[in-house]
Amino acid sequence: MALFAELRRRNVLKVALLYAVTSWLIVWFVGAIQSTKHVPVWTETFALFVLAIGFPVALLFAWTYEITPAGLKKAADVDQTQSIVYKTGQKLNAAVLVLGVLGVLAVFGQRLLPKFEFILPGIPEGDAPVSVTAPADIRSLTLDNGLKIIVWPDHDIPNVVMYNFVRAGARNEYPGITGLSHYFEHMMFLGSGDPEPGAFDRIMEDAGGSNNAYTTSDITVYQDWFPLAAIETIFAIEAERHKNLKLLPEVVESERAVVYSERRASIDDNNFWKLAEQVVATAYIAHPYQFTVIGWPSDIESWTLEDLENFHRTYYAPNNRTVVVTGDVTPGEVFKLADKHFASLPAQDPPPPVRTVEPEQLGERRTLVEAPAQTPLLHLAFHAGSASDPDAVPMQLLLNVLAGGSSSRLHRILVENEGLAIAVGAYQDEGFDPGLAYFYLTLPSDGDPAAAERRTLEELQRIATDGVSDAELAKARNIVLADYWRGLATIDGKAAALGQYEVFHGNYEKLFDLPATVEAVTAEDMSRVAAKVFRENNMTVGVLRAPTEEEK
Amino acid sequence: MSRLLATCLMFCAFAGTAFAGDVTLPDVTRTELDNGAVLLLHEKRDVPLVGAQIVIRGGAVTDPDDRAGLSSLFAAMLERGAGERDAADFAEAIDAVGGSLSTEAGLESISINAEFLSRDAGLMVELLTDMLLAPALSSAEVNKLRERRINQLRAVKDSGLQSLVHVYGKAFLFEEHPYAVAVDGSEESIAKIRQRDLLAYYRDHVGGDRLIISIVGDIDSAAMIDRLSAAFGEWRAAEAELPEIAPAAPLEGRRVLLVDTGDAAQSYFWIGNVGVAVDFAQRAELDIANTLFGGRFTSLLMNEMRTKAGLTYGARSTLTRPSLPGSIAITSFTKSETTIEAIDLALSLLAQLHETGFDEPTIQSGKNYILGHFPPRLETASQLASQFADLEAYGLSASFINEYGDAIAAADPEAVRAIIGDVYPNLDNLVFVVLGNAELIRDDIAKYGPITELSITEPRFRP
Repeated sequence: MALFAELRRRNVLKVALLYAVTSWLIVWFVGAIQSTKHVPVWTETFALFVLAIGFPVALLFAWTYEITPAGLKKAADVDQTQSIVYKTGQKLNAAVLVLGVLGVLAVFGQRLLPKFEFILPGIPEGDAPVSVTAPADIRSLTLDNGLKIIVWPDHDIPNVVMYNFVRAGARNEYPGITGLSHYFEHMMFLGSGDPEPGAFDRIMEDAGGSNNAYTTSDITVYQDWFPLAAIETIFAIEAERHKNLKLLPEVVESERAVVYSERRASIDDNNFWKLAEQVVATAYIAHPYQFTVIGWPSDIESWTLEDLENFHRTYYAPNNRTVVVTGDVTPGEVFKLADKHFASLPAQDPPPPVRTVEPEQLGERRTLVEAPAQTPLLHLAFHAGSASDPDAVPMQLLLNVLAGGSSSRLHRILVENEGLAIAVGAYQDEGFDPGLAYFYLTLPSDGDPAAAERRTLEELQRIATDGVSDAELAKARNIVLADYWRGLATIDGKAAALGQYEVFHGNYEKLFDLPATVEAVTAEDMSRVAAKVFRENNMTVGVLRAPTEEEK
Repeated sequence: MSRLLATCLMFCAFAGTAFAGDVTLPDVTRTELDNGAVLLLHEKRDVPLVGAQIVIRGGAVTDPDDRAGLSSLFAAMLERGAGERDAADFAEAIDAVGGSLSTEAGLESISINAEFLSRDAGLMVELLTDMLLAPALSSAEVNKLRERRINQLRAVKDSGLQSLVHVYGKAFLFEEHPYAVAVDGSEESIAKIRQRDLLAYYRDHVGGDRLIISIVGDIDSAAMIDRLSAAFGEWRAAEAELPEIAPAAPLEGRRVLLVDTGDAAQSYFWIGNVGVAVDFAQRAELDIANTLFGGRFTSLLMNEMRTKAGLTYGARSTLTRPSLPGSIAITSFTKSETTIEAIDLALSLLAQLHETGFDEPTIQSGKNYILGHFPPRLETASQLASQFADLEAYGLSASFINEYGDAIAAADPEAVRAIIGDVYPNLDNLVFVVLGNAELIRDDIAKYGPITELSITEPRFRP
């Protein structure tokens, strides 16, 4: 008790309290500035370390020394009757109170003040938005193992989205393992197998989150949606499935049947995709874009556990992935979590590049699918550019002029005026390598595929000769820009867009160049691109219809 | 002093934990005009977009018996010319500014959804006003759209068996009840619709007393209220009354509809009975039970049928909750050869649901899942506009949303277990609808009950 009383008398307890309050403020401050670009991830840990070492030093100092009117003296040397420790104690109390109040104000102030949100710039009346700069609160960090993390805070709702982009898709496959990228996506759902298969989904959903994924010819994208409170759990289980994925033979078998069921529902019992699969396979003679993403039936039946292990080893390295996090987070906290959970994943040699370049098409290609059908289908595919091709944006505008909405040329002519089709649409592949500009038409039951094809082709080629009108160009720009804003209205859309630009354009900041790029496209650009792409020698035509009486 | 600090630290930590589900609807400005039309407005300025949802109460339950799809065709016709614009000009006006506008009929209402850049809010309101007050409903456009719709239904039969199983399911379950209606009609019923039917529909089922207009976004709501009040304040009422419908009685016993799809690779099935209405008092408990049974990836149905048995890519439990009891059904699909295995497994899981229900940790997991997924449904201007309009249409207050999180969190596990027996059909009383290759599965599915057969190419959804 005597020791305790002496500790109190010498103000050691008050110094301890003051030290704690000051430390708390310092740690809070470091945390707050960590969301800025130039503060390293380890700063907070370092601050904690220094403060912890300083604590016993401060206490020892308080015990040993005492403040007197004549300056600092050893406590043992001070005449007890002259001691002013009581006054010093009062000062210490005041300091704790002031710092404590300041701290509370700062912490709450930050919560209560309007948050720094990215308010998209207003649009001047009558003008389309022409330029946007990347919002200042988007941050990125590349870990030593090459994993890049991009964060866009948005505090509208207390939720978070994490997208994991893996640069592996059907273009990385070869005959015998077609569909493996997509199958691998399924195996990732089942997680590390620890503590049991399916634990990944269970832990995720127990914590209020959910996840999905999709595979394309170019990439595999894993999507997690979760409440902020679950963020640590989600980082932990994501790290776990990337690090310790276990492929159990019995799980490989049952999931093979699941994928086959997916193929039957989405391709075999679906005329649209049944035809599209054949058209894409016909359009390429060399490049692996010819492989159907879900895989050919023979490959679904026969891929092996070893194939999966090889695939994982080759493509699932941190330096072959990009993580995007959007929602109710700060970059600082996300970087800390990424550092904690993802930094230990080892970097690997980059996977082998896809070397094959599709040779120029030398003449029209055709494919016919005979299938039970009440309505025939017509697809037209033309070789075009990659995502980063400068002609990709003019082509996007062109496809809008031709088939974007009920006022588009093809809809008006084929659907409304001439009744050759009941629906028409178009899209272009936007991948690493040159892809297809693709038109798809549904014909009425008594429709004539040859007539619809002739009419479509006529209109495509008319663009090359006669060009597009100013009104059409303005309309296409507006459609593309409005879609752009709609895409950025949700945290999910933000994550998807940032990742898409980072992966296919090399830098997420290019996302914010799109409005200016769209504005710069001219009618001449569109005619030039139309002339280059919409040639019969560059075309693959697919027709799906019921077999005729003789064919049956 | 140290107590103050401790309190601060605790309080700060608490303030940092945003509760999942802790999201409430923002305040909406509600204006009711003299003729009963309701305006709902809310200003939201994070992106330069404005979203609108218009609801006209009525919908497919008002379709004449032999003209299913009339309200759906009417909704689509609203986009095909209005005011001074013909169909082509109307489409051009929307596309020219990059707007989006779509119409849809539901069981109990027609809705129009629009989303425009906020600088085009004036144009959006002009188009919406024209659609309601001066639709062209021209005979040429009606004829064109009718033929296209018939072909579109055929196209869905070629490529969309997963979605069609619900249409056949409800038709076979509700039989003569208005909820049996195929909302978009059948090839047969649409073929009978003429311009005069649409004009009569407009007179009888569209008017100020049926109207709800909800607009959210970067708008000036006071000016918007003035403009909408001037446009719709004097609008006439719909001439007909909304139909008085008695609730459907649940089916006693079993019956089976086999829809022959020719050589489809898989069988698509729907197993259900009559469920509950939108105002069902124990919504929270039921949502928890249904999430765990067939509403998420790790649900009982998905876990057993997909993850463990590898029988299917997907299995769900679906509830439709209109103003009177709707349907509750298990849906899934599997290759023709395993049709019986998959249906038997689904039935055994339904039995298991009744017998053992879910334990407390599982129920807690279901609660977390629902709460974590709630906020993203209230994120954009369009989502909010639609939420406001739906609440108004069903006569529900904001507490339906705002107190939902608390109700989920507070749901008693015993009450969740009790609700299962009350709502989910027992195994003796079930409607089975199977779309598949009849030749391969006809004999085997006879064990589930008396079979009625229909070909997918028949131009109707009911036998």
